[in-house]
Amino acid sequence: MSAAWVTPAASWITTVDHKRIGVLYGVTAFLFFLVGGVEALLIRLQLAGPGGRVVSAETYNALFTMHGTTMVFLAIMPLNAAFFNYMVPLLIGARDVAFPRLNALSYWILLFGGLFLNASFLVGAPPDAGWFGYANLTSKQFTPGPSVDFWLLSLQVLGVSSMLGGINFIVTILNMRAPGMTLMRMPVFVWMTLVVQFLIVLAFPPITVGLIFLMFDRFFGTRFYDVAAGGDLHLWQHLFWIFGHPEVYILILPAFGIVSEVLPTFARKPLFGAPVVIYSGVLIGFFGFGVWSHHMFAAGMGPVAALSIATMLIAIPTGVKIFNWLATLWGGAIRTTTALHFAVGLVGLFTIGGLSGIMHASPPVDLQQTDSYFVVAHLHYVLIGGSLFGLFAGAYYWWPKITGRLLDERLGKLQFWVVFAGFNVAFFPQHYLGAIGMPRRIYTYSAAAGWTFWNAVSTVGAFGIALGVLLFMVNAWRSLTRGAPASADPWDGRTLEWRTSSPPPLHDFDTIPPIYGRDTFWREKHGRPGIVPAPTHDHTHIHLPAPSRWPVLTALGIAVLAIGALTHVAVVLAGALFTVVCMFAFALEHHRNPAHAQQDGDLGVDHRKVAVWVFLGSECFFFGTLIATYLAYNGRSVVGPEPHQILNIPLTTLSTFDLLMSSLLMVLALAAVQRDDRRQARLWLFGTALFGLIFLGFQVYEFTHFVREGLTLQRNLFGSTFFVLTGFHGGHVTVGVVWLLALLILDLRGRLGRVDAVKVEVAGLYWHFVDIVWIAIFTLVYLMP
Amino acid sequence: MNEPPVEHASIGTYLKVAAILSVVTALEFAVIYIRALTPILVPLLLVLSAGKFALVVLFFMHLRYDSRALAVLFCGPLALATGLVLALMTLTGAFLVLGR
Repeated sequence: MSAAWVTPAASWITTVDHKRIGVLYGVTAFLFFLVGGVEALLIRLQLAGPGGRVVSAETYNALFTMHGTTMVFLAIMPLNAAFFNYMVPLLIGARDVAFPRLNALSYWILLFGGLFLNASFLVGAPPDAGWFGYANLTSKQFTPGPSVDFWLLSLQVLGVSSMLGGINFIVTILNMRAPGMTLMRMPVFVWMTLVVQFLIVLAFPPITVGLIFLMFDRFFGTRFYDVAAGGDLHLWQHLFWIFGHPEVYILILPAFGIVSEVLPTFARKPLFGAPVVIYSGVLIGFFGFGVWSHHMFAAGMGPVAALSIATMLIAIPTGVKIFNWLATLWGGAIRTTTALHFAVGLVGLFTIGGLSGIMHASPPVDLQQTDSYFVVAHLHYVLIGGSLFGLFAGAYYWWPKITGRLLDERLGKLQFWVVFAGFNVAFFPQHYLGAIGMPRRIYTYSAAAGWTFWNAVSTVGAFGIALGVLLFMVNAWRSLTRGAPASADPWDGRTLEWRTSSPPPLHDFDTIPPIYGRDTFWREKHGRPGIVPAPTHDHTHIHLPAPSRWPVLTALGIAVLAIGALTHVAVVLAGALFTVVCMFAFALEHHRNPAHAQQDGDLGVDHRKVAVWVFLGSECFFFGTLIATYLAYNGRSVVGPEPHQILNIPLTTLSTFDLLMSSLLMVLALAAVQRDDRRQARLWLFGTALFGLIFLGFQVYEFTHFVREGLTLQRNLFGSTFFVLTGFHGGHVTVGVVWLLALLILDLRGRLGRVDAVKVEVAGLYWHFVDIVWIAIFTLVYLMP
Repeated sequence: MNEPPVEHASIGTYLKVAAILSVVTALEFAVIYIRALTPILVPLLLVLSAGKFALVVLFFMHLRYDSRALAVLFCGPLALATGLVLALMTLTGAFLVLGR
C-alpha cells in the first residue's frame, strides 16, 4: 500500500484531502452501518416467534427508531458521501473539491452528530418515537425525557453537515470540471451526485424548520404542534415528508449513478441513451418534491388526486433508467465481475421495490397498506435492493482505485449470492405478512395471528444478510493485508479516475486531462480517430490545500452546543463562543494567501459567489417554510391577541425603510472596495452595519412591547409563529452585522483591498437576501389584512 | 491574484433604485388606509412587494448583470419554494387553489 496510508493519526484529523475525507466517511459510515445492522438483527430476533422476549417493548421502540435514523442519516447517506468525496473530483478531472476545509468540516460534524445520537444509549435515553418523529408523540407530554431531544438535536447537527457538503459539491461540479467537460459529458455518477446535492440543499430546510418548531415546543413551550392551541399535527407530517420523500432519492440516486458507471464498463459498451438517463435523474429529483403527501394519504388531509398523479408520474423516468440499463447489457461483451453482480442485482430488486411503490400512489390501495409490513418490505427493497446493492457495486468497482489492492472476486461473488438470497428471504415474505394484516412497529404478536412461520423465515434471511456483510469485511481485510496489487486501470474503465494511479497521488492527476466527449479515456485507449492522448507529466504550479485544525475544532464547538442544550445553558454559551472563535479563525486562515485569491471556475464566477447563491436558494426554502407556517396558522389562535390588535405598522414601515437603505449602503461599500477607495469603503461598511443595528433595535423594541402587551412565544399560535419567523430573520440580520463588522475591522487594519472585493460581494449578497426576506415578511405578516 | 472586479451598475442607478424602493414602501403603507382599494388590496400589495423584491435582486444583488447560471441557481429554488408555500397553505386549508 501507499505510504500515505500509514501516516500519523494527526494528519488524518487535520486532513483536507478529498480522498482521505472520502475514506473517513466510508469507514465511519460502515461502522454506523454495523450498529444499525445489529439493531435490525435484534428487531428480527424479537419478532422471530410469537410472544418474543428478547427485548422489552420500550427497548423495541428505541431499536426501530435508532435503526431507521442510523441507516438513513449515518450509514447510507455518508456511504454515498464517501463516494462523492473520493470519486467526484477524480471523475471530473479536479485536484480537490471547491472548499476542502469545508469538506473536512462536513465530515467532523457528521462524526460528532452520530456520536451524539448514539450517546443517548449511554445515558439510557435512546430516541423511541420512530425515525419519522410524528407529532404529538414527540411532545413533552407524551415523551418527557431527553430521548427526543437527542434525536432532534442530532438531526439538526447532521443537517448542517449535509448542507455544507451539498453546497460544496454543487460548486465543485459546476465550477471545477476539466477542460472540455461540458455538463452533458460528465459521467452519470457525477450527474446523480449533482442532483442529490440540490435535493439536499433544498429538502433539508423544511425538516430543519420542522425540527426547530419541535425544539421550541419542547424547550420553550411554543404551540406549533399543540392541538389544544389550534395547532395542526399534519404540519409536522408535511414538513417531515417534504424532506422525507426527496430523501429517498438522496439515498437511491447515487446508487443509480454507480450502476450507470459499472454496467457500461463490464458490458464494454457505452451507456445506452446516456442523456436520457441523465434527464431521467433530473426529472426524478424534480418530481421528488411533488409527491411527499403519498406518505400521508391515510392521515385524512383532503385533496390528494394531484399528489397521486405525481407519484405515478415519477415511475416514468425511473422505468426509463431501468430499460436503459437493460439495453446497455443487451449485446454487450459482459464480464461477470462482483461489481456487475451487485449492479444487476440492483436493477432486479429495485424494480420490485419500485413496483410496490407505484401501488402506494393509489390512495385506496395505500390505505390498506399504510403502517403494515408491506410498506416495510417496499422500503427495504428500495433502500437495500437499491441503495445498498448499488453501494456494494461501487465498493467492488472502486476499491482497487482507493486502496491500490484488488478484492477477491470469488469471495465477492459468494458474498453477493449470500446477501441476495438473505435479502429476499428476509424481505419478500414481509409483503405477504403485510397483506395478511401484520402492522409495522409492533414488538410482539400472538401465535393465533398466523404470522409465525414467515416471521421466522424473515429472521433467518436477516442473518443471511449479516453473514454477507461479514464476508465483505473478511474480503476487505484480506485485500488490505495481502491483496493483489491493482493497476491504474484494472477494469479497462471509461472515465477519468482510471487514468491516474491506484491509489491516486495527492494531486490526483499529473496533468488535468482535456475532454473531447463522453468516455474520452476509453476512446483514447481504444484508438478512436480524432482523439489525441492527453500529455502525461507536468508537476509544476500544482497548489494543494494545506491541512487545517479549524474544521475539527469548529465541529467540536457545534457538538458542545448540542450537548449544552441537554445539560446547562452555560455549556451552550461556551459552545457558541468556541464555535464563533473557530469560525473566525477558519475564515481568516487563508485571508490574503495569494494561492487562494483566484477561485474562478468553469462558470466564469468565483467559487465563493456560486456557493453563496446556492446557499441563498436553500434559504428560500427555509424562510418559505417559516412564512408558509405563519400563513397556515394565521387566524387559528384560540386566544388573543390577534395580529391586527398588536402590530405597529407605522413603526415597522420605518424599520423596513431602514433595512432597504442599508442595502443601498452595502452596494456603495462594494463599489468603493472595487475602486480601492478605502475611506468610502469604511464609511459605507460602517453605515450598513449601523443601519442593521438600528433595525435590530426596532425589533428589540417591538418584541419587548409585545411581551408587555401579553403576546409571548407561548401565548398562542400567532405568538409562536410570529416570534420564530421574525426572530430567525433578526438572527440572520445579526449574523450579517457581525460579518460586516469583521470586514470593517479587516479594512481598518489595512487587510481589505480591491483583491478582496469578492469577500465583500458575498457578504453583500447575504445582506441583500436578508433584505428581500424582510420585504416578503413586511407584506405578508404586517400589511396583509 | 483576481482581476479587478467589474462594477455592475453606476452609483446613479443604485440611488435611483433606492429612491424607487422608498417610494414603493411609502405606497404600501398608504394603500392599506385607502378604503376604496380594499377589494384589490391583497393582489396590489403582492405586486408592490414583488416589484421591490425584483429590484433588489436585479440591481443590488447584480443578477441583471451576472452570469445566467447564478440566476438559475437562485430563481429555480425560489420558484420551487413559492410552490411549496402555496401547496402547504392549500393542504393545511389556509386557502384553496384547486378546491376540495
